[in-house]
Amino acid sequence: MSSDTGALARHRAFSFSRVYAITINTLTELTRLKVFYFLLIFALLLIGSSIFMAQLTFQQEFQILKDVSLGAMSIFTSLLAIVATARLIPQDIEDRTVYTILAKPVPRFEYLLGKIAGVLLLLAISTLIMSSVFLAVLYTREQTVLHETVRQMSKAPREQVDDALRAVRSSALNIDLFPGITVIYLKACLLAALTLFVSTFATTSIFTIVVMTFIYFIGHLQATAREYWLQGHSSGWITHGFLAVVALIFPDLQAFNLVDDIVAGAAISLGLFAKTAVLGIFYTTIYTLLAVFVFYGKEL
Amino acid sequence: MTDPAIAVRGLTKIFPVPLHRQSIVAVRDLDLRVEPGEVYGLLGPNGSGKSTTLKIILGLVSPTRGCTEIFGRDSRLVKSREAVGFLPENPYFYKYLSGEETLRFFGRLCGLGGVQLKNRIDELLELVGLTKARKRRLGTYSKGMLQRIGLAQALIHEPKLVVLDEPTAGVDPAGSREIRDLIVDLKRRGITVLLSSHLLAQAQEMCDRVGILADGVLVREGRLQELIAIENQTELVLADASSQLVEEIESLINRSNAKLIERRKSTTTLERLFLDATTERPKS
Amino acid sequence: MRVLLVLLILIVLGAIKLPIERDLAVIHRQEHFRGVEFNLDLREKLGQLGFIAALSGFRAIVADALFIQAHVAWERTEWSRVLLLFRHVTTLQPRSILFWDMAAWHMAWNASVAAMNDRAQPRLALRVKAQREYFALGKDFLERGIKNNPDRPQLYETLARLYREKYKDHERASEFFGKAAALPGAPRYNRRFSAYELSYCEGREREAYDRLRQLYNESEKERLPTLITRLKFLENKLGIPQDERIPDRAP
Repeated sequence: MSSDTGALARHRAFSFSRVYAITINTLTELTRLKVFYFLLIFALLLIGSSIFMAQLTFQQEFQILKDVSLGAMSIFTSLLAIVATARLIPQDIEDRTVYTILAKPVPRFEYLLGKIAGVLLLLAISTLIMSSVFLAVLYTREQTVLHETVRQMSKAPREQVDDALRAVRSSALNIDLFPGITVIYLKACLLAALTLFVSTFATTSIFTIVVMTFIYFIGHLQATAREYWLQGHSSGWITHGFLAVVALIFPDLQAFNLVDDIVAGAAISLGLFAKTAVLGIFYTTIYTLLAVFVFYGKEL
Repeated sequence: MTDPAIAVRGLTKIFPVPLHRQSIVAVRDLDLRVEPGEVYGLLGPNGSGKSTTLKIILGLVSPTRGCTEIFGRDSRLVKSREAVGFLPENPYFYKYLSGEETLRFFGRLCGLGGVQLKNRIDELLELVGLTKARKRRLGTYSKGMLQRIGLAQALIHEPKLVVLDEPTAGVDPAGSREIRDLIVDLKRRGITVLLSSHLLAQAQEMCDRVGILADGVLVREGRLQELIAIENQTELVLADASSQLVEEIESLINRSNAKLIERRKSTTTLERLFLDATTERPKS
Repeated sequence: MRVLLVLLILIVLGAIKLPIERDLAVIHRQEHFRGVEFNLDLREKLGQLGFIAALSGFRAIVADALFIQAHVAWERTEWSRVLLLFRHVTTLQPRSILFWDMAAWHMAWNASVAAMNDRAQPRLALRVKAQREYFALGKDFLERGIKNNPDRPQLYETLARLYREKYKDHERASEFFGKAAALPGAPRYNRRFSAYELSYCEGREREAYDRLRQLYNESEKERLPTLITRLKFLENKLGIPQDERIPDRAP
């Protein structure tokens, strides 16, 4: 029954180069959307807040600078993940580009894989840029404060100056921030995959964004609902059932908010970081696979 | 025996309508065969099930009943799409890509790369006449240019079959002439073409065989010449005939048992007129 | 059909991930992450907007905003407002040493002094009572801060200072300087301060002497004027034999 396939090489069930082509195309598409204006706002916010904070002591200033930067980083990456992903599939269907792509020998899972990989790449680049801006501002402020400290304490004994400088340094950059930023990125990845999943059965990107906003808030309350449900605090089977559904279906987004406490000085253990990372990767994978499953049943 | 380029057997597609009890039957018990090397036109009014049929053949939509094959391979297999290029109706590509980048993207999707892909892109841009516009973004292309780049991407992997959904819809006469010429060229090179159209005059010029769909049912099918020929009539078209010659012919007719139905001056088509008028003065 | 299947998969996976998430929450508690319970009480305190913001990953920023408000309230000497705001701030961000420390400092050092100098209150007894109440509030902040951050020395040290400067309780002061000194990352002077404070306690002079002497022997750097003064005081008080005493002047 088989016939020769012309000039082409034999078809492979999975091709990295096909996924790569879609990934790069998705990344190009997203960067042309001027998403990087987000980053500009981020930079302005940071520099603005650091000027405003000049009246406080350096410990207060550094803490607020870190809180604002990392809080903004967290919300921006989450927003970017949701907004960027929500429009990918509906836009391709509306523009019929999805027909042209899937009429080529491209399996549907490769198409989705390429799309999500493009978003994750965009998120990684944004996180790197924001981290660099943040570290640059923090470093500049740290140098200024160190300089002032040396000047003010020019007559103090050596040991005291060293103590003071050590205090400045320890309240500025904290090495635990890096795993914290990684967890922020993982949370954004999770949200992107979940958005992709929702967008496979949604018809418009607005619907997806609205649903994701709800999921975002419920996800932050999931831990509370879970504990209430498991400890049997709830009264009545309706409440009990509702809590069970929330606990089972929604991801615990609060588990990814480690950075608040890291800024405040909590040290993150390797075990905690590893488990959080595994949970993030688990969710991202599961939601992507579910998106693929739904997409295979979709009539285009 | 070789496999047909396209085989459709007992194809039915029913779309359920959400929140309603009844559903829409887009295609009903369709049987279709397209032989290698022919140009087949699927004709019918809007909403007659042409696009749905094409989508099922390309594996974009799953059939409710029946099956479709491309060169003997089930349409549901990704592999079946190796031998086919598709141009959707009114295609929008990624506006931010240039013509060249578009072809490179689709070439990569077909597993092409390197020098082979580069040469193929040059060749196709030349073929569809977009060599000068290769670096321009698709956002700046006219509808005819988009259609041509669409045709180029459908041909990127040298498919043996090309499926075109309304290839000339919304394109001006000059543009659609070019597309017709390209299709004729494809046929000359032995590529099978399946196209859908509701513009019958154009289909008539291009197709070897046609099928007419109405409400999802194939109501007529066959070789174009056979379908439209009127068995008991013959036309003569004369040039530089004197009136004397014409009178002689008429008297010959009167003496036989044949009947002269109509006698008129030949006219050019409006399209021919339009094309002559617009190509006399080149665009500034 | 597919939708139902997806829902089923989600629930089955939910049952799998549930223990992982619970496990993670336990680690969070052990490592003092997520020290905030989101409940109705907190919502009333923060108001709707603040509560939502706090929930959606802005907890630290809400805390900072309230902290700045507290700073403004302090500049206006609105003490009850300072107290209220610091309670919110420390509830939202219990891992920040800075907030507990500032809260205690405002209460025990600033508000207490202001209460003592309150011209609107002519009766001394009431002024003293108000002052003692602010001391207690400061102490309360520090104790709760320590409960949330038992592994970091700073708040133990501040609590020790509070006992020393406000309550004149040398025994407690010594105890908390000692606790601070035992933790990693504590400044060296905590050990010294603990021993100094002990030297003021009736009946514990011998213990204080041993500790000061040990510090003296450990390193040249420890032989600071106060240490020598306290050692000499204890040598006299305990009647240490001349040949065991430290020399009058540092060599």
